[in-house]
Amino acid sequence: MIAARRSPTARRTRPIIVTSVVAAAGLLAGCSGSGSLLDAGNDPTTSTVATTTSDDQGPGSGGDSSTTDSSTTRAPTTSAVAVSDLAPCPTAALDAITDPVEVRFWHGMNGVNETAIDALVDEYNAGQDRVRVVADNQGGYEAVIDKFLQSSDGSRPDLVQIPEYGTQVMIDTGAIVPAQACIESSGYDTSSFLDIALRNYATAGVQWGLPFNLSDPVLYVNTKILEAAGLDPTTLPANFDELRATCEQIVASGAAPTCLSLDSGSDSGGGWFVEQWIANAGLAYADHDNGRTAPAEHVLWDEPGVVELVSFLAGMIDDGLAVYVGDNSSGQEQFLRMVSDQPAAMTIGTSAALGQVIDVLGGGTIPGLTVDDIGIGPLPGPGPTPTAVPGGAALYAVAGRDDAVVAGAWDFMRFLTSPQAQSTWAQTTGYIPVRSDAAELDPIASAYRDDPRYRVAFDQLVATADAPLAVAPLLGPMVQVRAALATAMAEIYGGGDVTATLADAAARADALIADYAARNGG
Amino acid sequence: MASERVEATGIDRPPRGFRLVARYALLGAVTFVVLFPIYTMVIASLKPGNRVLVRPLVPDSFTLDAFRAAWTDGHLGRFLLNSAIVAVAVTLFQLVTSLLSAYAFAFLRFRGKRLVFAVFLATLLVPVEVTLVVNRRTVDQLGWINTYQGLAAPFLATAFGTFLLRQVFLQLPKDLRDAARMDGLGHLGFLREVAVPLARPTMAALVLFSFLSSWNQYLWPNLVTTETDMNTVQSGLRMLRVAAINRPNLVWAGTIIAALPIFVVLLVFQKHLIRGLTAGAVKG
Amino acid sequence: MTGREEPRRGDGRVAVAMLGPSMLLLGAFVLYPLVRSIWLGHQRCDITGNRCRSNGWDQYPDVLRSTEFVHSLAVTAKFALLTVPTGIVLGIGLAVLADRYVRGIGFFRTIFSSTVATSVAVASLMWFFLLQPDIGVLSNIGWLRTLFPVISDPGLLRDPGTALASTAFSFTWANLGFTFIVVTAGLQGVPRELYESAYVDGANGWRRFTDITLPMLSPTLLFVGVVLTSRAFQAFGEIDLLTGGGPRPENSTTTLTYLIYGRESIIKNNDGLQAASAVLLFAVLLVLSLLQFQGLERRVHYGE
Repeated sequence: MIAARRSPTARRTRPIIVTSVVAAAGLLAGCSGSGSLLDAGNDPTTSTVATTTSDDQGPGSGGDSSTTDSSTTRAPTTSAVAVSDLAPCPTAALDAITDPVEVRFWHGMNGVNETAIDALVDEYNAGQDRVRVVADNQGGYEAVIDKFLQSSDGSRPDLVQIPEYGTQVMIDTGAIVPAQACIESSGYDTSSFLDIALRNYATAGVQWGLPFNLSDPVLYVNTKILEAAGLDPTTLPANFDELRATCEQIVASGAAPTCLSLDSGSDSGGGWFVEQWIANAGLAYADHDNGRTAPAEHVLWDEPGVVELVSFLAGMIDDGLAVYVGDNSSGQEQFLRMVSDQPAAMTIGTSAALGQVIDVLGGGTIPGLTVDDIGIGPLPGPGPTPTAVPGGAALYAVAGRDDAVVAGAWDFMRFLTSPQAQSTWAQTTGYIPVRSDAAELDPIASAYRDDPRYRVAFDQLVATADAPLAVAPLLGPMVQVRAALATAMAEIYGGGDVTATLADAAARADALIADYAARNGG
Repeated sequence: MASERVEATGIDRPPRGFRLVARYALLGAVTFVVLFPIYTMVIASLKPGNRVLVRPLVPDSFTLDAFRAAWTDGHLGRFLLNSAIVAVAVTLFQLVTSLLSAYAFAFLRFRGKRLVFAVFLATLLVPVEVTLVVNRRTVDQLGWINTYQGLAAPFLATAFGTFLLRQVFLQLPKDLRDAARMDGLGHLGFLREVAVPLARPTMAALVLFSFLSSWNQYLWPNLVTTETDMNTVQSGLRMLRVAAINRPNLVWAGTIIAALPIFVVLLVFQKHLIRGLTAGAVKG
Repeated sequence: MTGREEPRRGDGRVAVAMLGPSMLLLGAFVLYPLVRSIWLGHQRCDITGNRCRSNGWDQYPDVLRSTEFVHSLAVTAKFALLTVPTGIVLGIGLAVLADRYVRGIGFFRTIFSSTVATSVAVASLMWFFLLQPDIGVLSNIGWLRTLFPVISDPGLLRDPGTALASTAFSFTWANLGFTFIVVTAGLQGVPRELYESAYVDGANGWRRFTDITLPMLSPTLLFVGVVLTSRAFQAFGEIDLLTGGGPRPENSTTTLTYLIYGRESIIKNNDGLQAASAVLLFAVLLVLSLLQFQGLERRVHYGE
C-alpha cells in the first residue's frame, strides 16, 4: 500500500489536493452551518414529485424505479377515499385452498412481550391447519417500519405490526390492504372494539390497521417510599397539581432524594408522553385536528397551553422534585433511576412495560424491591383528570399477495383480536385489550379484579372522552418529528428557555413535514 | 509474537531490582485496565439472574444458566454459525479472486493494465457507507435477503488482497515464469505449483484479515436480514440487547460467547494474526 | 507499475478470465453503488426510495454547508482527534513495555492483544455495562464516584462534556489489541545492531527511543494512523449502542455515519439526502487519506 503511494504521481497531485482542501475549507468556513440539511438543493418543499421518473433514470438505475409502484393506488390520507378503490381483501379465498398457506408476520415485540406473541402464534398454528404463521421479530417498532419501507415488495412480509406513529407512512406506501376491506368482506363484528382504539388507526371512514396491542403511559411508583413519606400508596396523583404536592411531600420528608424520574426519549418522556399531556390539556399536537381532517402542515407546540405544561415539568426539575435522566437510548433509563442508590420515587412508563417490570422484580433482580412494592397510577397531566391517547400498534395485511395469503393473514388478525387472545395477551404483557368483551374474560378479568394495578391503563383509556384530539397525531415523518420535540425537551430539562426552544423545535418539525409532503406527493 | 529469550548482553539484559519491579507494576496496571471490562462482564454473566446487580465486582455465586439461555433462547449458537459460514465464504472468495487477479497484474502483459490496476486501487478508498443503501437494494432485487450469499456478496472480492499478493508475486524472478513456461506449465499450473507456495505466509495473513473484517461487520447484516435466525453475531447482539430487555445477564453472556471464538483464534494463531493485521504495514 | 511493457498475444484473454471475477464483484458492489449514490445525491426520493426526482446538483454544496453536516463533521473530527493519537501513543507504550524479556511476558502480550477479539458490539456492550449511571459497575464503586461525581450524575454517557470522550475511550480500548499487535511486530523488525551500537555510543534509553525506535517504526505508525483514522471516521456501532447520537440537545456524539444511518436520523428513509451525505463522507475521507500520505510521506523513514 505504502509503496504504491510513493510513486512520483503522488507528488504531482499534491497541488490539486491542497487546492481542493482549501476550497472545501473555504466553503465550510464561508457559510458554516447555514441552513438545514433538509433545505439542500433547489427548492424541495414547493415543487411536487413527478409521477414518472423516466427523465431521471440515473446511471444503472436499471428498471428498479419502474418496478416499484405496487398493486394499489396511492391513497391520500385524510380526504375521503372509497375502500373500493383500495386493495381488496378476498377473505373467502381461504375456504378454497387445498394446501396450507404460510403467512410471514413481522413484529417489534421484545422481552416478555415477544414470548407472549410467540405463544399466541403457536396457539394459532396448533389450533387449525389452513394457515401457518411464521413470526419474525425485527427488534422494535422503528426497525419494523424501516425494514418495511426499504424492502422490495417481494421481501416484505404478508402481515406487519406497525405502531400508531407509523400509520401515515403505511398509508403512503400504498402497499397494504386496509383492514376496512377485510372487515367488510368478512362481515367481522367490531362493535365490541374500543371506539378510541379503532379511531386511532382510521381516517375518513377507512379503517387502515386493525388495533392489536394497545397501551398508554402510566405512573410507576415505589410504594415503600410513599409510605415512608406518610402518603397513602393507594391514592396516587391524578393531575399535575397533585403530582407536585405528592412530590413535595416525598422530598421534604426525606423519603427519597428525588421524586420523579423524567427522560427525553422519543418514544417516552421527550415524545410520546408529551403527546399525552397536550391531548390531556385539550390541545392539538398538529393542525387540522392532528392531521385527521386534512394533512397536517404545522405542529402547534408553541401554543401557550403547551408552553405552560412543559414549563410545569421544567419547574419540577428546577425545584429538585424531578430528576432528568437523559435521552433514554436504552429505553429503560427512567426505570433504572428508581433502583439506583439515589432512587426516584416514581417514573412514567408505558403500560406495556408492566409485564417486564413484574418479570424482573419477580426474579428478585433488584435487592429490596419486590413486585408488591410497585404501585401503578394513571398518568397525571395538566387537565383535571387523567386521559390517554392510545399507543401500541395495529396489524396490516400486505397487498399484492395471493388471495389465500391475504385471507390467511386476516384469519390470524381475527385470532389475535379475538376476546380470548386479547385477554391472555393483556394479562402477560400489560397491554390493554382492544375490545371490552375481552376485559370480562379470564385471565385478564380476574387480574383486573384481584390486582387493580392491571386495570389502571384500561380505565384511563376508557375514561378518555371521545374528543377528536384524543387520537394519535397523523404525521408522515412522525419518527423524526418526535425526535425534534425530544431534542427540545432535553434542552428545556437542561435549563433552556421553554418558549424559544419549543418555537424552534416546531419550525424544525414543520420543515420535516413539508419535506415529507414534497417527497411523497402529499 | 513471543520473541525468544535474547542473549543477555548489552541493552538486551533483562531488567533487575527496582526496574524489574517497576516494569511488573506497569505491566500489571495495564493488564488491569485491559481486563477490567472483560472481568466485570464475565462475573456478571456467571451470576444467577437475581444476583446480577448485587456487588457486581465480587464473584459470589456461579451458574452457567445465562450462557445456556443465551445459546438457545438468545440464538447465539445460530448467530455464531452464520458468522462462521459467511466469514469462511468471504475469506475463500477473497483468497481465490485475489490470487487470480494478483497473478494477472504480476505476470500477464495486456492492454489497459495500468488503468485496470488503478481502478482496483481506487476501490480501496470507497468506504462501505457509500455503498450500503444501493447494495441493499441490489441484494434485495437478487432475492438474497435472509441468505448467506446476501450477507457475503458485497465482500467477496477485495482489491486489498489483490494488491498484497501482487507485491509478493512481483518479487519472484522473471526467469522463473519463463522457465516454467518452457517446462510446459500453464498459467494455472504456475500459479498452483510455484506462485501459491511462495505466497503462503502472505495468504495466511490475508485469510485472517479477511476473516476478521467479515466477522466484525455490524451494519450490513442488519440491513439484509429480517429473520432472527439469519443474523450474524454482531447484528444478533445488537438485536439481543433490545429483545432480551428483561434478562440483562443473557445479553452479557451473549457478549462473552460472541468474543470467545476470536479469542481462541488469537491464542492458536497468534503469529499469523500478527501478520494478518500488519499485512498492510509490511512493505512489499 | 513496472515500466512500459508490450502486450503479449494471448495474455489479454487470460487476463480477462483471471480478473473477471474480481472485476465483476468490485464493479457490482463497489463501483456501481458509488456511481449510483453520486447520482442519487442530487435527487429527492419518496419514503420507499422508489420514486425519485432531480433536486439539482447544488444539493451537494448545500448538504456540505448545512448545520447538521457541519456539526457532525466537527464531532467526527473531534472523535478522530481523541482516538487516533491516543491509540498510537498507547500502542507504542504497550509495545515498548512488553518488548523486553521478563518472565511471563508471553502472558502479558496475550492479554494486551486480547481486545482484538472484541468486536464493536462486544466492546460497546461491555462499556455500556460499566458506564450506565444507575446500575453500571463504575457507579457502584464508591470512591471512584466520590472522585468523579459525573459517573452517576448525570452519567458519563449522558453528560455532553464527557459523552464523546467516553465513547472514544471505549473505541480506543477495543482497538488497543490491534495497535499493540501491529506496533509490536514493527518493533521486532528493528535491527538489534542499531540499538547495540547506540548503546556503545552512550545513548541513553530515551535517546535510543527517539533516534532509533521512532524513525524505524514510522511506516508502522503511519499504517496504524491510517487504519485508526478510517475506523474513527466510520465509527457507528459504538455510537449506536452507547449513546444513540446523544446526549441531546447537543447531539454530542452524532458522527457523520450516525447522522446518515442513525436510528432517528432526520434523513432516514430519505435516499437522496442520505446518498448525498454518504458521498460527501467519502469525499472527506478521500481528501484525508491523500493528505495523510502526502503530509507524512517525507517524514516516514522506510527501512529498506
